[in-house]
Amino acid sequence: MNFQLTLAWRYLTGRVLRTTLTTFAVIFGVLVIFGMNIVLPTMMEGFKANMMAAGGVVDVTVTHVSGGGFPAEVARKLDGIPGLSAYAVSLERTVNLPPDFVDGDPARPDRVSAVNLVGLDPEAARSLQVYLIDEPGRFLQANDTNAAVISESLADAWGVGLGDTISLPSVSGLTDLTIVGILPPRTLPGNEEVLVPLAQSQAMTGQEGQINTIRIALTSVDESARAEATAAIQSALGSGYQVGALDPGSEMFASLKLGQAAFNMFGVLALFMGGFIIFNTFRTVVAERRRDIGMLRALGATRRTITGAILTEGLVQGVFGSLIGIVLGYLFGAFVVRLSAEPMKSFLNINMGSPVVSPALVVTSLLMGVGVTLLSTLLPARSASRVTPMDALRPSLAEVEYKRRAGASFISGVVMIGIALLGLVSGNMGLIALGGLLFLGGLILAAPMLLRPIAWAFGRLLAWFYARQGIADLAQGNLTRQPGRVTVTASATLIGLAIIVALGGMTTSLTGMMDDILHKTLGSDYLFIPPSVAVWNSDLGASPDFAARLGEVEGVEAVASLRFAAGAINGQAVSVLGLDPQTFPQVAGLDFTEGDEAEAYAALASGRNMIVNGAFLATLGVKVGDTVEVTTPEGPRSYTIVAEAVDLLNAKVVTAYISQANLAADFGRTDDVFIMLNLKPGVALEDVEAQIKAIAADYPQFTVMAGKKYIDDMMQYMNAVWAVMFLLLIFLAIPSLIAMMNTLAINVIERTREIGMVRAVGATRKQVRRLVVAEALLLAAVGTAFGILAGLYLGYVIVAGIGVMFPMTYEFPLAGVLAAIAVGLLFGALAAVIPARQAARLQVVEALRYE
Amino acid sequence: MSLIQTENLTKIYGAGEAAVTALDHVNIAVNEGEFVAVMGPSGCGKSTLLHLIGGLDRPNEGNVRIEGVALAEMDDDALTKLRRQKIGFVFQFFNLIPVLTAVENAALPVTLDGVKPSEAKKRAAEWLTRFGLGDRLAARPDQLSGGQQQRVAVARALVSEPALILADEPTGNLDTRSGDEIASLLRDVTKKYGRTVVMVTHDPRIAAYADRIIFLKDGKVVDETNLERKGAADQIASKMKEIGD
Repeated sequence: MNFQLTLAWRYLTGRVLRTTLTTFAVIFGVLVIFGMNIVLPTMMEGFKANMMAAGGVVDVTVTHVSGGGFPAEVARKLDGIPGLSAYAVSLERTVNLPPDFVDGDPARPDRVSAVNLVGLDPEAARSLQVYLIDEPGRFLQANDTNAAVISESLADAWGVGLGDTISLPSVSGLTDLTIVGILPPRTLPGNEEVLVPLAQSQAMTGQEGQINTIRIALTSVDESARAEATAAIQSALGSGYQVGALDPGSEMFASLKLGQAAFNMFGVLALFMGGFIIFNTFRTVVAERRRDIGMLRALGATRRTITGAILTEGLVQGVFGSLIGIVLGYLFGAFVVRLSAEPMKSFLNINMGSPVVSPALVVTSLLMGVGVTLLSTLLPARSASRVTPMDALRPSLAEVEYKRRAGASFISGVVMIGIALLGLVSGNMGLIALGGLLFLGGLILAAPMLLRPIAWAFGRLLAWFYARQGIADLAQGNLTRQPGRVTVTASATLIGLAIIVALGGMTTSLTGMMDDILHKTLGSDYLFIPPSVAVWNSDLGASPDFAARLGEVEGVEAVASLRFAAGAINGQAVSVLGLDPQTFPQVAGLDFTEGDEAEAYAALASGRNMIVNGAFLATLGVKVGDTVEVTTPEGPRSYTIVAEAVDLLNAKVVTAYISQANLAADFGRTDDVFIMLNLKPGVALEDVEAQIKAIAADYPQFTVMAGKKYIDDMMQYMNAVWAVMFLLLIFLAIPSLIAMMNTLAINVIERTREIGMVRAVGATRKQVRRLVVAEALLLAAVGTAFGILAGLYLGYVIVAGIGVMFPMTYEFPLAGVLAAIAVGLLFGALAAVIPARQAARLQVVEALRYE
Repeated sequence: MSLIQTENLTKIYGAGEAAVTALDHVNIAVNEGEFVAVMGPSGCGKSTLLHLIGGLDRPNEGNVRIEGVALAEMDDDALTKLRRQKIGFVFQFFNLIPVLTAVENAALPVTLDGVKPSEAKKRAAEWLTRFGLGDRLAARPDQLSGGQQQRVAVARALVSEPALILADEPTGNLDTRSGDEIASLLRDVTKKYGRTVVMVTHDPRIAAYADRIIFLKDGKVVDETNLERKGAADQIASKMKEIGD
């Protein structure tokens, strides 16, 4: 082992450039996996910290499965349950604050961007928790109005003290609260709290008579007694309630998870490609060292020693590559966290903490990186062990493979492609994803057979280019005599370019669709946007009074709003949005995929009917026409699905649209969380701006924005994201350059004698150089051709996959295809530079003597 | 008992009409401490004979016995072990590992045999010093001349203290002076260190260093000559002419 390690180390350090380039392939894969898996948990942590600000010494927390509010009387059911020492009800809402709301200074970064408004029953709360109020302040009393208790740190940030007044946004405009007591500085992570009496928070959030949390302390510390008490609580409340940890915003987690899965797939593809490259490199290595290996065998090295030596080399590269990948991945993750801190804050009002790294992630990344490397080294190592001592002694003639492997591999490749196409037709998300992998695999299997015709076609092209020097023929012959190896190399190019084309396809289609939906659903003249778009649960709305005042402004034609309530169906959280079936279609709109628009709105007005989005249908496994039972604070209610439609903001969240009348009746919510406004024809924005801004000043929880500007902002943000993605892709394509270079290098090494012969019979150096370049271009052309084919398919698959939730039409990625062709040919030419020079420099006599 | 004994050793390359008989029922014996040269025209089978004796290749028929043990009955691992412990090889193209130093190259066979690296290097250094390379221990092959590289290869062949050294055209890639140096070194190996050397060569001057010459033609032994030291080279040259080189 010691010997093998020495040998591996010397060989690796002997070819620094190649070692660096191939190790880079591993580094890159690990980097992507590690980096992305840091970013998303960090976002989630930030999200959790925001949502789960409430802490305290509580044994059991009860929430509604929907995450929304429920009638305060529900708590009565807990009376008389044995094992409970005390309980307290509360209504807690995150109140997102506009920029500079607290410190009033745009130059200073905001320390407080959101607070938790906690409405509680002062008596009951003190039975669960001790509140250490600094003298001479006091705790809340049940009959207080407009009184609040805050922490010293929040008071500092606000620059207020005991007896001063702070104002907070509420559904009925800004509400002033007098500070009656100050708590010690907050040390827990998460938002600062503003404690108010329960009735006060109910009024401020527009949730009269509702609570959303019950905290319970148990008498026993014995595990089984506690479990018994918890079970008793659950059975007293019924299945609509969750007994245990607070679990808000589960829909947000789901969409973050989806993002994580997508990026992991990207990372795995990168590693997969890295594997190809390592495989290829070690094939080169074994070919180059045939004599060394044969000699070692002659001297008494066993087969196992040889296998071990090559594997050790792979291991060393894998370990180093993975470690460097982890370090760079961390930096990359930290960078992305910093970069996304701003948009995360402005779009979702989430404060990102420092990057989160779990030991499990480190281990997994290391195992994947090293595992892939070892796996790719295995075949070359085995073939190295089959080198006989005789190989050290006899001249090594380049092998010619010519076999037409039309047999098993070609047929199974074609079958795999066929199944993949069937999967696409099926429309099932899982089958489509599986089909994507099958398609790639099938293409690689079937490629050796297709290689000859493709090489022939491109060879004709080259022949025309190099007019009658016989070079194109020779290059074409050289390439097609080992279809297996050429395919492996071309596969690396293939995967790289396929990803470019696929993502190009996705981007083109997605941008087109975004643009379309944005204009359709957010095309109104003015938008009133809450701090956290789409995670409505954390937004504080406005009472209908706000919209009414806006409607009275001279020049305003119509106002429409969305209201929100949290609901659940079969335990799955559902965003229930209320709209006015009359006014909503006048101002905004939904993008309908199934069902008639006019009939659907009419149906909402006429009974318990709902319009749902694609995510709703896919997640719950229901279809238009079905009736579902929705868990509401008032109990279960049956709704019938009348159409499928989507608006941009809610596209990825499981969402149902019902009438605002039903929302008020079943969920008790009447506050608007998103308001859209249209002006009368001929009225300019400037004419009404001052009046609208004046009304909106009372509701600082909303950002007022002209619709067009909002769309522009969104598109600009999207484009920035795509630009970063494309940069990453180009990174990903670099390893395929290394793979091509390796294959060409092997070809040159193996054919040293042939090249000498060609030179001896009169080929100039230039001609030899051209021969190698011609081969490289052919190789690149083959890889590019397959890559574009695979990319178009994969892109279509991705679009179809997203289309299950997010209907969009596939648009041909012309830019992506052109980029792939350019990159492919450029890489082909670049990869040839070194081997071509090597071949041209060979001394004729030495090359002929070379054995 | 002879150190090496071949019994009807036959090797055929290819099959059917393309089949070429490289060795045709060859019976030879080599005694301990002997320096034997194998000569003959190109394609006479001399390298094949050496490869079969060294267990690098397997015969189609017949057998090789080293110290009375038949190679034909050994599996790959056993053969590998035999090569490692009983046989040292010297090749025409030196075949040093380019990334290892002189002393590491020379130590390879014992390192492969599981000897502690420090001990293996000590032994290799001793041999290299004997061959006048004491000051070049840390040099890599590309920093050594051809003759020096071949001396490293001879040291490598001897480091595991094998009874038998097989040399395949050891001077084929060297100039005249270095060739003479290596040949006399091989002679020292038999006379001073008591090893047995079998060397394939087509150079009469080099063959003249041997005790005995076996002439091969078309895969058959056609003659054997015990050499007297004076005028040996001329004697060999005329013999070669006789068998039609």
